[in-house]
Amino acid sequence: MGFWIYGERTEEGFHPVVLELVGVAQKIWPQPEEITVVTLGAEGARPVAEALRAYGVRVLWLHHPELSYFRDDLYAAVLAEKVRAFKPEVFLFGATSQGQALAPRLAGLLRLGLTAHCTALELKDDRLIQIRPSFGENVMAKIVSRTRPQMATVRPGVFPKAQPASVEGELIEEKLEFLPPSALKRRAVFSRPSKESPLSGARIVVAGGRGLLTKENFQKLFELAEILGGAVGATRPVCHMGWISEDHMIGVSGETVAPKLYIGFGISGALQHTVGIEGAEVVVAVNTDPEAPLMKRADIAVVGDATQILPRLIRRLREVKEGDHGT
Amino acid sequence: MHLIVCLKPVPKPGTVKVDPKTHTLKRESADLILNPPDRYALELALGLKEKYGAKITALMMGPPNAAPLLKEAYALGADQLVLLSDRIFAGSDTLATSYILAQGLQKLSPFDLVLMGKASIDGETAQVGPETAAWLGLPSLTQVKSLVLEQGRWVARRVFERIEEEVEFRAPAVLTVEPEGELWPPSLKRWLASREIKEKVFSAEDLGCNPELCGLSGSPTQVLEVFSPTYEGEREVLSGPPEEVVDRLVSLLQERGLLKGG
Ligand SMILES: Cc1cc2nc3c(=O)[nH]c(=O)nc-3n(C[C@H](O)[C@H](O)[C@H](O)COP(=O)(O)OP(=O)(O)OC[C@H]3O[C@@H](n4cnc5c(N)ncnc54)[C@H](O)[C@@H]3O)c2cc1C
Repeated sequence: MGFWIYGERTEEGFHPVVLELVGVAQKIWPQPEEITVVTLGAEGARPVAEALRAYGVRVLWLHHPELSYFRDDLYAAVLAEKVRAFKPEVFLFGATSQGQALAPRLAGLLRLGLTAHCTALELKDDRLIQIRPSFGENVMAKIVSRTRPQMATVRPGVFPKAQPASVEGELIEEKLEFLPPSALKRRAVFSRPSKESPLSGARIVVAGGRGLLTKENFQKLFELAEILGGAVGATRPVCHMGWISEDHMIGVSGETVAPKLYIGFGISGALQHTVGIEGAEVVVAVNTDPEAPLMKRADIAVVGDATQILPRLIRRLREVKEGDHGT
Repeated sequence: MHLIVCLKPVPKPGTVKVDPKTHTLKRESADLILNPPDRYALELALGLKEKYGAKITALMMGPPNAAPLLKEAYALGADQLVLLSDRIFAGSDTLATSYILAQGLQKLSPFDLVLMGKASIDGETAQVGPETAAWLGLPSLTQVKSLVLEQGRWVARRVFERIEEEVEFRAPAVLTVEPEGELWPPSLKRWLASREIKEKVFSAEDLGCNPELCGLSGSPTQVLEVFSPTYEGEREVLSGPPEEVVDRLVSLLQERGLLKGG
């Protein structure tokens, strides 16, 4: 049972990050039949566990009435026992609230290394290379673990989701007899107003940073977004300056986007921002400074004054669009 | 009631330099500040102190030059200041750090609650809280935004992405605190008084730490290398007069099929 993935459940089924983890596992792990999603729950969660088989992965479903909701101590203790028994090589978690509560508790119990918030994973001679931003220094770090399983949490929204497979995976069901005691008891649950981000699912994102100089310039991004059928994103400082509301913020403290096209105007490309665009297919940067980090990572680096380029781009695209209509 | 708030010294954003040749971090050159999210843990503790009466210990693992940051915690209302400092602690990853903190907490026990910030702004791992709880065999809860005591049991309100839950537990426990709500500034009187306050310093030996579990040797994760993200694949650089640049940009986007709605 080589490659384990924690199967976080939500009210609606699996958390989307589970399929992203399956996707990355299928890409890097040489024995696809060893990819296993481990999920805990009460008997009633069976359909959720069943549903994952369609992605061609093995599902290890551990159930007991006491596991009906997430409890840090109990879930970690159950997983610790299974890890000891099955000795997986890798164990990944989504870097969600639950994943970030559970993975470190498990790592602590088993005295294992754990790398947080990975944005890329590679496999090299059996070793999982865990790549994550090191924010203070604006660099990426490659991290390996001396202990097994190699544990990491992965930022949601970075990897593409797995696709349904032609062959169903097997379901291994285990009804747990004895559970360790839990010190935690849930008394009530409240739903949180789900703030659907204006950026979620956007295929094109046009984002602006301090280099746009004024709020008026920044507002032009909305025109551009409209022409392109995209959404507007921003860096943290411009949100704080009140150019746009914080739900447009991209990065560690904001949203993760994975559009086909991202255009950043006057954005330096601090890692706190760029972790939010790891999944973008084509990155365009517009900056007066050709050495800015975002210019270096861009597929198309436009050296120039964003306040000049943006209005001209809007005009040119309008022309192109009208031209299209003519033909 | 004894509350222990863990505080981390972090480099002030923008003050860490990377050695351009070796790609190693020149951490010594950075100015240190209290990790901002930890302030919310302290704030929650101060609220509990006001409501129920409590002694608050501010606990920090860090180099000797981080000690002045503890005075800030005193100025804000902490009663006792403790620094865990030893050369063998350097290079600790989260597992080793949580081991050292757990040793420190044992030294300071009995306690009711250990409160930590949700994550640090330099590491951003959010791991040390639950890992410390695991070393101590205590329950852990993350992203707690409020706490009340009801007939000897604590009730925490805790945040997930889509839900909040109310959880009941008995002390002692280790909690991380959601950074939200107001922060009160320190009082001038306590600021002045903090100059006279000395922190207690504990070394690895004072804590009975197993050196094998501290620092680099106690850290199962190892940084292989750090690198500036550069991306393979050809990069187009466009420069020149804005009009021309825009024309070329538009044709490039068209070529790649990025301008069609589908
Ligand atoms: C704990 C923490 C969390 C953070 N979280 C986030 C986050 O989630 N998201 C985020 O974005 N940031 C975040 N930040 C901030 C981040 O570190 C950077 O400071 C921020 O992303 C920089 O924003 P910027 O690119 O708009 O501004 P700057 O870094 O100031 O960059 C402006 C750029 O514009 C260029 N420029 C100037 N004039 C022009 C012009 N006329 N035309 C074209 N280019 C021009 C400059 O060359 C420069 O590259 C966080 C920071 C911390 C400490």
